[in-house]
Amino acid sequence: MTSARYVALASAFVIAAFYTAWANQGPSASRPLEAAPRLADGTPNLGRVPGEKGVWNVPYIQNMGMRIPGPDGKTLAERGTASENGGRGGAKAEPDVPFLPWARGIYDYNSRNNSKYDPEGYCLPPGGPRLMATPYPMEIIQQPEHKRIFMVFEGATHIWREIYMDGRPHPQGDELNPTYLGHSVGHWDHDTLVVDVVGFNENTWLDYYGHPHTDLLHVIEKFTRPTKTTLRYEALIDDPGAYSKPWTVAWNIPWSAGGELTEYICQENNRYFLKLTDDFGQPVLGGR
Amino acid sequence: MRTKLLVAAAAIALLSTAPVAAHHSFAAEFDASKPFKLTGVVTKVEWQNPHTIFSLDITDEQTKKVTNWSFEMGSPNGLMRNGWTRNTLKIGDVVTVEGSLARDGSPYGNAQAVVLAGTGKRLFAASSRTDAQ
Repeated sequence: MTSARYVALASAFVIAAFYTAWANQGPSASRPLEAAPRLADGTPNLGRVPGEKGVWNVPYIQNMGMRIPGPDGKTLAERGTASENGGRGGAKAEPDVPFLPWARGIYDYNSRNNSKYDPEGYCLPPGGPRLMATPYPMEIIQQPEHKRIFMVFEGATHIWREIYMDGRPHPQGDELNPTYLGHSVGHWDHDTLVVDVVGFNENTWLDYYGHPHTDLLHVIEKFTRPTKTTLRYEALIDDPGAYSKPWTVAWNIPWSAGGELTEYICQENNRYFLKLTDDFGQPVLGGR
Repeated sequence: MRTKLLVAAAAIALLSTAPVAAHHSFAAEFDASKPFKLTGVVTKVEWQNPHTIFSLDITDEQTKKVTNWSFEMGSPNGLMRNGWTRNTLKIGDVVTVEGSLARDGSPYGNAQAVVLAGTGKRLFAASSRTDAQ
């Protein structure tokens, strides 16, 4: 065998070995990342490609205090310097959360009693950024011809929200009715969907650990799809009723190819609420 | 016991393909420092939201007294994503359950692993516990 033929044969083996290794790696590992899909008009498509299934697999994020991006853009959870959800250290363990004194007190209370009174625990919906932090998948359905976007959530309480893309302002004064999910208006800033939300009621917590909010809460959400399989979510939490300045939380939401939404009706057998007692051991429902 | 539970937790992590949601506060209702392993006969399966709950008649080995225990798992949508169906557990099956006991001392627990006693077949992990600290 000439040395040239030897090299060619060896190269073929090396290439075959690489190919086998690549082919065995399954759908996600080390293949080039697929670009995010776009709609016909060029707008980023935050949902399915026609002919394919798929849902966003919303992660279970329990403590937004671990999700504040630092100077490098990464959160404590992403840097791995803290456990995914942090500990039950109360407000003093979260110097980056700008609590007002009462909010600090209520957060410490929720930490001490292990989130016993979490409204989501008795099947009320999550408000604000917690929608993107409560398990079970969700879908984003764009209707540019109707100038609106729907977000459909299997989890939480089998809930949906509508984002008005028609340029309308938020209702003013008493026209703005406080609700669990608030009033959402959106627009595209290049490839980022920016959603401005106001009009929240005070019946929800920002997260499972119990960061509180008031009806002054104003959330600015940013949704981007850097690759086909990742949704980057960022939310500015601006609530002068509970925090001394706005703070930002962010995390990634993975695409679950082939996934579909199923039914989850939390209210069906809401035993936790029936058994819930107050700090004096009395049934919470007993006084009604 | 703790090692066994850790092994079980690792198996659960490997088997899980989708989150089995924690819905209410696990820590408020269950005590992660009180693990249990109990064997009994299935008397009831409530395939319901937000938690599937099944009951076992468990006989105390010494007193022979039978107590009916109940165990909480995830919700049907999460359980189905992890390979369960409403008929995975049948009345009369003898199963061994591992998990965490209720804080209030009642015969109630959070199930993290369910094994068919006859065959040793491990049914898919089921816990609503993802937040035990």
